Amino acid sequence: MVRKSFLLLLSLLIFFTRLSHADDSKEWRLYSRFGYGPAQIEKHLIPNVKSEATNRLRDALIASGQEAFIPESINIVKTSLPDAFERWREQRKLQQSLQSTPTKEFTKEMSRAAMALRLFQCSHDQVENPLLAKMTEFWFNHLNVYTYKGSVQPFIGDYIINVIRPNVLGNFEDLLIASFKHPAMLYYLDQWLNAYVENPTQTNRFNVQVKGINENYAREVLELHTMGVNSGYTQGDVQSLARILTGWTISAKNESGSQFVNRLHDKSDQTLLGRTFSNQGEEEAISALKFLANQPQTARRISLRLAQWFVSDHPSKQLVDAMANTYMQTHGNIYQVMTTMIESDDAWDESNQLIKTPFDYVCSVLTAAGGAKDLKDYTNALNFLSNSGQPMNAWQTPDGYSTMADQWMSAEALSRRADFAFSIGSRVEEPEKVLNWISKNSRTIIANEKPNLQASFAFSSPDFMRK
Amino acid sequence: MNTKRRDLLKWASLIASCSSAYAASVDSSLSIDSGRLIIVLLRGAYDGLSAFFPYSDPNYKIFRPTISIGTQPEADQSVFYKLDDDFALHPSLSALIPFWEEKRFAFIPTTGLSKPYRSHFEAQHYLETGQDGNNSMSNGWLNNLASINKGSGLIGVGEANPEILRGLIPPKLVPRGNAALQTGVLGNLHHRAVLENLYAKDSALNDLFINGENSRLNTAMMLNQAQMSSSQESMQANKDASAPSALLQDSRHLVALMQQNANLKLGFLSAGGWDTHAGQGNERGALSNNFLNLSKALSYLQDNINKPNDVIVVLSEFGRTVHENASRGTDHGFGNAMMVMGSQVNGGKRLGRWEGLALERLNESRDLPVFHDYRMVLSQIFERVFNFNAQQIAKVFPGSQISIAAGAQDLHIFKG
Repeated sequence: MVRKSFLLLLSLLIFFTRLSHADDSKEWRLYSRFGYGPAQIEKHLIPNVKSEATNRLRDALIASGQEAFIPESINIVKTSLPDAFERWREQRKLQQSLQSTPTKEFTKEMSRAAMALRLFQCSHDQVENPLLAKMTEFWFNHLNVYTYKGSVQPFIGDYIINVIRPNVLGNFEDLLIASFKHPAMLYYLDQWLNAYVENPTQTNRFNVQVKGINENYAREVLELHTMGVNSGYTQGDVQSLARILTGWTISAKNESGSQFVNRLHDKSDQTLLGRTFSNQGEEEAISALKFLANQPQTARRISLRLAQWFVSDHPSKQLVDAMANTYMQTHGNIYQVMTTMIESDDAWDESNQLIKTPFDYVCSVLTAAGGAKDLKDYTNALNFLSNSGQPMNAWQTPDGYSTMADQWMSAEALSRRADFAFSIGSRVEEPEKVLNWISKNSRTIIANEKPNLQASFAFSSPDFMRK
Repeated sequence: MNTKRRDLLKWASLIASCSSAYAASVDSSLSIDSGRLIIVLLRGAYDGLSAFFPYSDPNYKIFRPTISIGTQPEADQSVFYKLDDDFALHPSLSALIPFWEEKRFAFIPTTGLSKPYRSHFEAQHYLETGQDGNNSMSNGWLNNLASINKGSGLIGVGEANPEILRGLIPPKLVPRGNAALQTGVLGNLHHRAVLENLYAKDSALNDLFINGENSRLNTAMMLNQAQMSSSQESMQANKDASAPSALLQDSRHLVALMQQNANLKLGFLSAGGWDTHAGQGNERGALSNNFLNLSKALSYLQDNINKPNDVIVVLSEFGRTVHENASRGTDHGFGNAMMVMGSQVNGGKRLGRWEGLALERLNESRDLPVFHDYRMVLSQIFERVFNFNAQQIAKVFPGSQISIAAGAQDLHIFKG
C-alpha cells in the first residue's frame, strides 16, 4: 500500500516535472506501445495505466475473434486459397504463352493489397483495435514470411488475416501450427518440398538426385520460432524433426491450402529432444510442434521477444522470468503472458525507454494524421519503409527484424523521418491535438511556428521518436 | 611479398592449432600507402557460370541445353571473348575486356562458404559476418576490418543498414539512388533551425541528429556538385532506379564521396535481382541485362578507384546449380566466381583451381565445388591492401581461423 502510494506520488511528480525532457508520460507510453500512438484526441490523464492496458488487452482479444474490416479497394486479399492457387496458375500459363511480356498482375496485386492492409490496420484505430494490430505485427515478424519470394505473394494476405490475426492472444501452439500449415509458410521455408523419398538414389533426366528431405523449415522452427539458437537441440534434432514433418505440403484444392500426403511421410521412428515419435500420420507433425511450443526454452524466447517489443531493448531477467513462468503455467497462453507483463512495474518504469522502429514511426504519424487514406499515403509510407530498411512484408530472413534502437538509429534516420513528417503533417487540421501529447519544451518551440507546420514539427520532434 | 605470404600461411596454421596464439593484440597505424577496398555484393546468388562460361567443356551444353552461352545454333562464336582455354566472357560483360587485357581483372571460379547452405538469408548472414554456421548477432567483417585498420572509414551506398557494415565503427550510410541527393527538410534553413532547437535538449538523440544532419547535407552537396559536371549518361541511369541498374548511380555516389574524403577506405555496394530460378536467358534475357548493368558499374569503379593498392571485389553468397532446371533457370548451388580488380591484381587470368564440369567433380553432382574459402581470398587481399599480418586477419573473421587455414593456398592474386 505504502509502495503504491509512493509510486503514485512519484508518477505525479514525474508527470509535472517533465519540462525539459522528452515526453514519456504513461499515457503516451500506453498509446504508443499498446498501439501506434494517439489519434487526434485531447490528452487525458489516465490514473491507472495498468488497468487501462489490461482493458485494451481484453478488447484486443475480443477483436481478434471478430472478422477484420477490409476496405473495398483491397478486397482481393480475401480471395480464398483455392481461388488464389487457381488465379496464380492462370497467370503462369499466360506468362508462358506470352514469352516476351510476362504479366504478374494477380500476384503483384495480392502482394500490394497485403501491404496496404497492414498500413490500413496500423493507422485506423477506430476500425482495427490498435493493440491487435501491434500484436499482429509482432507475430507476423516472429513467424516471418517474405513477400518477394514469388510463391509467397498470392498467400500473404490470407496469412495475415487467417493465421496471425485470430491467434495473436491465444495459445502459441495454435498459432505455430496454423502458420506451419499455411501455403505462405510452406513455400517460404520450403516445407512443401520436404518429403520422404523411397529411393534416394533415384535421378532425373539430368542425372540429379530427386529431392527428399528439406530441413529448412525444421531448422528455423527450432532456431527461430520456438526454442532459439544454442538452446540445447542438436543437428540430429533438426534432421529428426524434418522427417517428422514430411508429408505436409501445399494443396491447391483444399480450403486450408495444405494437405498431408501419407506416401511422402517418413514412417520410421524419430527421436526429438530425447522423445520418440512413432508414425502417427498427419498427427505426428502436430504433436511435435506442440511439444516444441511448450518447451521452457520456447517460453523464455517468446517472453524475451515480447518484453523487448513492449518494454525495453534489454528487459530485466526478473520480468522475462515472470513472463516465462506464466507461459509454462498456462500452456503458452499469450494473453496471460501479456497480463503478467502489463502488471509488472518494469513495463511502466521510466528508465525503460523504447525508440520507434520505422514501422512504428510511420503508423504513429499516420494514426495522428487521420490514418492512411489515399494512394499517395500508401506509396509514400511504403517507400519510406523500404528506404529505412524495414520494407513492408519484405524482411527477407526468417529471424524477423530487430526492434532494438541501434538497428534503426543510423545517422540519417532522424532527418529522413522528418521528411516523412513534413510530407503529411500539413493536412492535420487541429495541430494542438498532436502538440498536447508532446513535451512542454517541444510545444513551446513549435508554438511559434505557422499552424500548418506545427504538426509536421511535432512529428519530427524527439518526443515522437519514442514510444 | 612471397616470403611474407608464407609467414601468413604459417601463422594461419599455427592459429588453427592453437587459437589463443593471437590473443596478444597488435594495432596497426594507418600506413600511407594503405589502399582502398570496395566490396560489391550481388545478393541472390549470381550465376558465375554464365559470367565466365566454360565454353570448351562438353558438359556445359549438355547440362544447360537452353541457357548456355554461345551454344545455340544461331549463336555467332566469333563474338565471344575467350579468356583462356576453358572460359569465355559473357557478351554483356564485354566492357570488362579492356581491364582483362590490361591485366588488372581476374576471377576465381570456385570460391564460397565452407559448406552449401542453400538458403540466401543464412548464406548472406554468414558471408557478411564472416562466420559460417554462427547464427547469433555478430559484427560485419567489413566493420571489423575498419576497427583493425585504424582510421579507415566505412561507407555503404544503397542499403539502409547492411549487416556487413554493422559493428563498432559507425559507417557512413548513403541511400540508394536519388535519395542521396536530396536534403529534404534540412534544405530549408528555417526548418533546420527549428529541428536543431527541438533536439538540442535531448541528451540521448541530439548527437545523432546533428551527425546525421551534417552527413546528409555533406553527401548531398558533394554529389550535387559531382552531378552537375556529369554527363547525360548518368541522367539515364537515374531514371531506372530498379536494382541492379541503380548500381551505376550508387557507384558514382560512392566514388564521389570516397574521392572527397580520403579517410573513406572501405566501400560497400550491392545489387539484387540475381536469383534466376526461371527464364534466366542466355546471350540475352534477364541475367544478360543484369550483367550489362554490372559491367557499367564495375568499369566506372575501376576507372576511378585505381590507385596502386586499391582493389574491387565482386562476390555472391553462393553459386547456382550447374544443371538447368525445368523452368530454364538455375537453382541454389555452392561454388561461385569471385571477381577481383585493381592495378596490382595479377589480372588477365583465371586464378585458383578448376576441374571442369564432369559429374564426379561437382559438389553433390549438382554444384561447382568450393576450392577456395572466400575468407582465404579476402585475407590475401587484406594482406596486400592493408599490409595486415595473420593476427589482424584473424580478428576480421573471429572464430574462423580453421577454415581460413584449411583453404590456405596462395592464389597469387597480386602481381610480383
